[in-house]
Amino acid sequence: MKMRSILIVDDDENDLFICTYTIQRFDPDIRILKALNGLEALALLKQETPDAIILDINMPVMNGFEFLEHYTREFETHAPVVAMLTSSHHAADRERAMRYDFVRNYFEKPLTPENLQAMARLLGDEPERRASQAAP
Amino acid sequence: MIIGAAVMLAWIARPVDLAEAAPLLFAMQFNAALCFVLAGGAVCLLLAGMPRLSAGLSALAGLLAAATLAEHILRVDLGVDQMFITPFVTTGPGPAGRMAPNTALCFLLLSSSVALSALVGRGSPFRVLLAALVFMISTTALIAYLLSVSTAQEWLPLARMSPQSALCFATLSTGLIFGGVIRLGYDLSTVAATLGAATYLLLVLMTYVELMQPADAGALPANGADGHTTLLAVLLLSGIVYAGLIVYAFRNSERSRRMARQLAESQKRLEAIIETAVDGFVTIDERGTILSANPACERIFGYRAEEIIGRNVKLLMPAPYRDEHDQYLANYRTTGVARIIGSGREAEGQRKDGSTFPVELSVSRIDLGHQVLYGGILRDISERKRHERDILDANAELEEFSYRTSHDLRSPIASSLGLVAIAGDMVRRGVPAAELEGVLTRIETSFHKLDHLIQNIIYLTRTKMMDEPESTIPVAVAVRETVERLRHLEGGIAATVHIDIAETMTVRKKASRFQIILDNLLSNAFKYRDPVEVAPEISIRAALVRGRFVLTVADNGLGIAAADEPKLFQMFKRFHPQHAEGSGLGLYILRKSVEQLGGVAAYRRLDKGSLFTVTLPLEDRP
Repeated sequence: MKMRSILIVDDDENDLFICTYTIQRFDPDIRILKALNGLEALALLKQETPDAIILDINMPVMNGFEFLEHYTREFETHAPVVAMLTSSHHAADRERAMRYDFVRNYFEKPLTPENLQAMARLLGDEPERRASQAAP
Repeated sequence: MIIGAAVMLAWIARPVDLAEAAPLLFAMQFNAALCFVLAGGAVCLLLAGMPRLSAGLSALAGLLAAATLAEHILRVDLGVDQMFITPFVTTGPGPAGRMAPNTALCFLLLSSSVALSALVGRGSPFRVLLAALVFMISTTALIAYLLSVSTAQEWLPLARMSPQSALCFATLSTGLIFGGVIRLGYDLSTVAATLGAATYLLLVLMTYVELMQPADAGALPANGADGHTTLLAVLLLSGIVYAGLIVYAFRNSERSRRMARQLAESQKRLEAIIETAVDGFVTIDERGTILSANPACERIFGYRAEEIIGRNVKLLMPAPYRDEHDQYLANYRTTGVARIIGSGREAEGQRKDGSTFPVELSVSRIDLGHQVLYGGILRDISERKRHERDILDANAELEEFSYRTSHDLRSPIASSLGLVAIAGDMVRRGVPAAELEGVLTRIETSFHKLDHLIQNIIYLTRTKMMDEPESTIPVAVAVRETVERLRHLEGGIAATVHIDIAETMTVRKKASRFQIILDNLLSNAFKYRDPVEVAPEISIRAALVRGRFVLTVADNGLGIAAADEPKLFQMFKRFHPQHAEGSGLGLYILRKSVEQLGGVAAYRRLDKGSLFTVTLPLEDRP
């Protein structure tokens, strides 16, 4: 399966920019959806289910963990990859996030092409094209 | 027993020449010697803890003695005297080989005593009484020998006993008496004194009887001189005994007076400690009835000591303990398994007014011999508990703070790192400069965000650490200056600001903290104005109400949703992230600063906008 759409949930304008730029450089075909907090993300997820979600933990209104709680309870189908993005590494936070079975990855900011590759690998999408690009 | 065995051997050996040389050696008859061996064995066995065998031996001795006694009384010959051996020498009157009546009596008493204690139980008082009789008789005989050896045989009916027998009886009975007395728990010296006195009385009584009937008994060599000698000797002995008793009594009373004084002193000392102790001290009996309570107890529980003494200690406990305490006591009485005795623990107490409080309790068992008491030492630890909670709260807050700061400090740095990487990528791709400039601007905002957060953290630590003197602050001037500065910072906002503060009003506060309060209140009012509001307004008032300084800032801005109000003054809370940059620390810093000055900060939602009130005491709390 190929990653076609990614939802980015982050309140910080700069982080949204970084994610968007990095994803577009990774694969310009991926459609990017944006939400500024958990509440907006839930509203958006009611419309469609993206292939992956990149979720910030610290957000006003509804933070990453509150979002996960609602997402588990209120939705039948979950996006196959939810990657948590955090600006600082706390073992307790990681443990808490990884308890949800649809949370597959836990990255530290800023988002890098390597992070995206790991997400793609998880989805079974390892195109030779990208591998050959990375080789030289 | 050894003497008995020796005499028995002597009788069997029949050393006639020896008998002629020292007839006194054979004053003890063979039967008596046999009885001594038996009785001695019995006493030894008894003391070694073999009552059955001991009873058997003593029964044999008793039987022999009873038979001899019967011969004496009934004046018949049962053949007991020469049952085992034919005497080759005779001493004293009476049929050959027959033991003296008092010897037989003593054996009878002794063996009954041994049998009694062997069968009835070890600590029988009768045993002691019988043994005491034996002791008295034998000692009398011994003393009689000491006083006038030559006449002793015939001196008194009771003394008609060989000196060896007397010695043996004294030894055996002493063993019996003291063995029993120790188990019965009497004072040893008292028993010894009683025995001595009783023996002495018997001796005096017999002397008296002898003097009254000088010419009576035919066998008695009753001449006056002998009687006088005896009398003098008894008098002398009485004198010595009497003097000894006086000295003993004097020393004894001296000692007991000293002990009483020491006891009173130590009691006073102990009382003083208990009376002035900060901890409550209660004693209860086995059923839980309060026997004593010290003044600290009165203070802790609010009862006067008279009110609780005699009542059950349950009174001082709240519900769950109150109902279980009787059971605790009963369990301890029956099983001996202690729950709190010997180990301090925390429990709950109930005051007279019904309020409960945490106590630290340690209970000890006081064994008085005839009664068991429990002493409880208790301490009201409400304050300690409160401090504990405060420390835990402060610690939790600190942990939350460090967690959030570590995150929020790293956040703009992570953004900057990502943006710098993007800028590098753009340069390599040769994108237009305008596009690159956008990224540089983003990097700049990230650093501003970081700077702002660090500023706030510095504010916060300053509210905690700074120890600055108070100064007189002209309130109206301070507010005006702050408004102008912030209006300039926010890019000259066209909000109408009403300031309703008397020009003459001043407060004495720590100036920098007061400024932090003003800055936070007013910058929030500017930042979170409603962008669609045509006429943004801010009203600032200050007044002295009932000795307190009250500052209010009202605006018609965005306000706070009702659901968010509880989180308003907490750290790292942001309610309008889209409208302005912020660290989420502003109102937290405000609250901390106000608390530092001993005041309170409050929020009230208006129909449109917010009203913040800061109340400060006019005098700083020490």
